[in-house]
Amino acid sequence: MLEIKDLRAEIGGKEILKGINLTINPGEIHAVMGPNGAGKSTLSYVLSGREGYEVTGGSVTYMGEDLLALSPDERACHGIFLAFQYPVEIPGVPSATFLKTALNAQRKFRGEEELDAMEFLKLVREKTAELGIKDDMLKRAVNVGFSGGEKKRNEVLQMALLEPKLMLLDETDSGLDIDALKVAADGVNRLRSPERSALVITHYQRLLDYIVPDFVHVLADGKIVKSGDKSLALELEEKGYAAISAA
Amino acid sequence: MSSLTPLAQRYIDRFDTAARQLPGADNRSVSDLRRAGLEAFAALDFPHRKVEEWKFTNLTALTKPTANEGRVAPAPAPAIPDQPFEARFEMVFVNGRFSAAESRLDGLPEGISVTSLADSLGNGTVLSFPSQEKRAFLALNTAFMEDGLVLSVAEGVVLDDILVVTFRSEGDQETGRHLRNVITLAEGSSLTLLERHVGAGAYFSNPVTEVSLAADARLDHYKLQAESPEAFHLAFTDAELAERADYRNFSLSIGAKLSRNELTTRILGREAESHLNGAYLMRGSQHCDTTTLTEHRVPDTNSSQVYKGVLDDHAHGVFQGKIHIFPDAQHVAGDQLSKALLLSDYAAVDCKPELEIYADDVKCSHGATSGELDEQALFYLQSRGIPLASARKMLIEAFLADVLETVGNERVKVYFDGLSRHWLSEA
Repeated sequence: MLEIKDLRAEIGGKEILKGINLTINPGEIHAVMGPNGAGKSTLSYVLSGREGYEVTGGSVTYMGEDLLALSPDERACHGIFLAFQYPVEIPGVPSATFLKTALNAQRKFRGEEELDAMEFLKLVREKTAELGIKDDMLKRAVNVGFSGGEKKRNEVLQMALLEPKLMLLDETDSGLDIDALKVAADGVNRLRSPERSALVITHYQRLLDYIVPDFVHVLADGKIVKSGDKSLALELEEKGYAAISAA
Repeated sequence: MSSLTPLAQRYIDRFDTAARQLPGADNRSVSDLRRAGLEAFAALDFPHRKVEEWKFTNLTALTKPTANEGRVAPAPAPAIPDQPFEARFEMVFVNGRFSAAESRLDGLPEGISVTSLADSLGNGTVLSFPSQEKRAFLALNTAFMEDGLVLSVAEGVVLDDILVVTFRSEGDQETGRHLRNVITLAEGSSLTLLERHVGAGAYFSNPVTEVSLAADARLDHYKLQAESPEAFHLAFTDAELAERADYRNFSLSIGAKLSRNELTTRILGREAESHLNGAYLMRGSQHCDTTTLTEHRVPDTNSSQVYKGVLDDHAHGVFQGKIHIFPDAQHVAGDQLSKALLLSDYAAVDCKPELEIYADDVKCSHGATSGELDEQALFYLQSRGIPLASARKMLIEAFLADVLETVGNERVKVYFDGLSRHWLSEA
């Protein structure tokens, strides 16, 4: 599904990713762990196409296509979803309008019929009910005045509506209490399927108790220095990044 | 005396001939008024940028058009097709003159009188005028005023509808259209007015509107400035408010090559309030100036202002807002906010908020910001599959949403929303 080969990227002339290799097959959940400044967020932004990150080498192939040649919205329409570490507040844009516009943009891209207001409302109410999210969130401006937990729930709701093929979770656990963490993890687990994959970027092992990965990679100084199964996360938690990176 | 601008000189030269043909020529008080206007204008000339109030608006293109000859003129913004407002009551002026044929005024409730200024001047109706000492365009208007709306609403009368006044200009004309509207609302009366300025061609429009609200009167005053992209629009509105009067003004500006919307509110009665809001959407090399003066002359009065501008290409916006609180005008609240969104590196806005406060127990605020579209928000929208162009539109609409919310009349709101969206669709 996703094949990252010797990916190098810099921001403002400073090299952050120094040759990443990673392959994700359909249905797999990979966790990338690493200390602050290792390049975790940069990796998620480069994969989702954020401006300001210059790819200086390597390649990323997604479902047989050159991912780096696509714009951020095209990547989303091809099924890539980035759950933000800090979801952005957008004053003046009601959540419902935002969700409907996004969903219909993706449907249109895939050649499917756009949903009208009634159809959309029905669908979104199903999803909020499943996820235990209050409907009044839909009337509020996107993320404006939301608590940290509400923002993450909103990310999960978007994910549930857009049904991506590859989920990128950028430090989804940051700033969450345990209940909110469970809601977020539950949202991801609901979407797990043999066709769907996820890349879970996290600093702490905690999230991986709820989203159990098939593979764990340690990112340090722009490179993956170690890979293993879920026990690697526990080992990291116990020994710390320094010990593992040096090993 | 130093020489006048060529355009001012031409106005002065043709005054005697023109005045003989303008309405009210036989009426002594009208000719005296015109003469006084001309003298005030001749003493002022068109303002240049060393005049403080005109620091940010350069009138050279109007007053010395030949000064720019030989330079490559920037392409004008695209023409704005007139989107009519369906209304039961509409007064239409074409090229500065009342068109009875295009107007629909039958059936207005008793107590609402709508006539044309040309008729009023002809039959000697005496008009009161705001001070023209420092206002060249007002003085010029007084000298050359030819027609306009004269509206009076009797005590306690309420119009449960919208009165639309459309000023349409067609074709090129250098001499300008000096419309004068006089609006008087008697005690406890209430009216909603939509003023529309539309046109095609290169012309100079110089409308002056005088509003007088008696005690407990309310005027919802909407204005659409959708002049031809080759036109000049220099408008002045003066409103005076008695006790508990309520004046609400909203201006949507999308047209003209160069425009100025100048509003003066004089709050003369206790518990009166003035709310001035507006949005301006400009592209190409359009220039749009909003200049307000709110005078709180008495205690216990309120005012607010919110103006939002969206500027693309080389467009230039100006906001100058002054709140003046007179001595002893205690317990006054005055708020002012100006925000501009710059869509291009070449677009610019100049803001000059001013507070002049001579009372001590008042609550005033002002704020002015300008900025670009939020890159993070754009990426967030794109990351959900929304193409960049749509994402930009969503954010611009969101920027304008709260100021458009202040349009209290639902039909006018729908109309203004539609015009804004149409403007955006051409981005």
